[in-house]
Amino acid sequence: MIQKKICILGAAGVGKTSLTAQFVFSKFSEKYLSSMGVKIDRKTVDVDGKQVNLMLWDIHGEEKYKKIPTSYLRGASGIMMVIDGTRPATLEMAQEILQRVETELGTIPHIYLLNKSDLTDAWSINDDDMQMLKNTGNPVFLTSAKTGDNVEASFLHLATALVTA
Amino acid sequence: MNTQHPIPDIISQHLAAYHIQTLAPAWIELTPQTDQIQSLGGAWQSYFTTNLELGSSITSACEYLQGMLPIQESFELPQVQMRNDKYTDILAFHDAQTQTDWLLFCDVTMSTLQLQEYQQAANELNLLKDQLNQTLGRFVGEEVAQRASNGTLQFNIAGERKVITTLFVDIRGFTPFNESHDAQDVMHALNQYMDCMLKPILEEAGMVDKIIGDGVMAVFGVLASDNNSADNAFVAAKSIQAKVKALNKQRGNEGQDQLGVGIGIATGDAVLGILGSHERRAFTAIGRHVNLAARLESNARIGEILLDEASVTALDNPPSFALVSLTLKGIGKTHAYSLTS
Ligand SMILES: Nc1nc2c(ncn2[C@@H]2O[C@H](COP(=O)(O)OP(=O)(O)OP(=O)(O)O)[C@@H](O)[C@H]2O)c(=O)[nH]1
Ligand SMILES: [Mg+2]
Repeated sequence: MIQKKICILGAAGVGKTSLTAQFVFSKFSEKYLSSMGVKIDRKTVDVDGKQVNLMLWDIHGEEKYKKIPTSYLRGASGIMMVIDGTRPATLEMAQEILQRVETELGTIPHIYLLNKSDLTDAWSINDDDMQMLKNTGNPVFLTSAKTGDNVEASFLHLATALVTA
Repeated sequence: MNTQHPIPDIISQHLAAYHIQTLAPAWIELTPQTDQIQSLGGAWQSYFTTNLELGSSITSACEYLQGMLPIQESFELPQVQMRNDKYTDILAFHDAQTQTDWLLFCDVTMSTLQLQEYQQAANELNLLKDQLNQTLGRFVGEEVAQRASNGTLQFNIAGERKVITTLFVDIRGFTPFNESHDAQDVMHALNQYMDCMLKPILEEAGMVDKIIGDGVMAVFGVLASDNNSADNAFVAAKSIQAKVKALNKQRGNEGQDQLGVGIGIATGDAVLGILGSHERRAFTAIGRHVNLAARLESNARIGEILLDEASVTALDNPPSFALVSLTLKGIGKTHAYSLTS
């Protein structure tokens, strides 16, 4: 079976663990439990009739004084870069992480998830920001770990891109 | 380390014994440049549920190592969750002298769980701050946008000098409350009290300058209004105290904790500045009375409004105040006017 390692990265509290839980277990919790270190979950998906085993690395949030060790990313095929759509600062954080990963490990295929799309009132990513992300040439998804909107679609998109690459 | 005084053997031994006990290490020697187990030792049973056969591949027993072996250069995977609620540091290194490859597993569950508590508190605080800033951004943004669009926004020159009234309001006892309740409750309470503070300010043509922790700084006399700035600030202050009182009554009925607010108001000359072009932080006021208002607020008790002389003089219809004399940090002895509801 094809196996792919995918790292889920982003600032603290953007919804990395929630997205993984929604995708793997179809579960969501309002309660916030900050992740420490890294936890692996697995899910097998079907890409063009082929079984693909996704190894999902749910990594702790990047903080100013607590950077993500790049050793976690060794052997990763793809990255889910998660941004909290209600907090623009998490977009800057995403760019910072990607830059560091790039300098230390080279380019790893990635997609952007603008998460918490259910919180329309608090949404604060404007069109310019969206365009800026799209201009990078990487796919951008609006997701909600709460409603499940686009969660499966985004994981499948990345899986497909990795398998057919 | 000071090489002239190497660690005495007995100390080394104690340190080693201490760490071996707390870390419960397990080590695996790999057949050089492969992922095959050559030998193993230590508490490996506590890291693996399956038996580790000599000669078998470690990657199949430990998914965290997939794609990482054979060891090219030493690396470390901190705090991996190998089994439920158990955190492990995995270290991989190549011993150049003996040409051997090693994996070392250390149990760091205890320290990680302790760190988790701090991390959780810090992350929740950050989320809270972001949310507050957003509330602020919306309040200020909407108000300014609305007034700008119907032509009543009266400030335009950066560096303009003007007499304004500054109001500080702060929730009392919020820090202990924050520490003894879960984040969901804190957030809910904070939003309720913030609502009591922000609405009256906006209704009286005040501008929320910033939200500081669990308090608000607002300025009056910048946005156009029919009344003078001191009157606006005072009316807003009375309304805040009334709203907080009503909220406390409601929370009391629901069996929830109640918090109070103290308010300080001062009037004086200020330089108004427009900070950058960022839509949210458009404006700030700098003046001596701003500091005075802040100091008065920190001296105000729950339910109290403290005003400086200039504010009271400017009021159209001052009610009867209690005169209090205070010694304020950085300002010295002064008197103020108090109204307690
Ligand atoms: N409304 C809404 N809330 C969400 C969504 N995704 C996550 N949350 C909430 O956001 C908070 C943080 O979610 P987590 O999934 O723990 O975030 P994380 O990125 O794993 O956080 P760290 O592990 O600390 O970096 C939790 O309270 C979730 O319930 C979403 O799509 N919509
Ligand atoms: Mg997490």
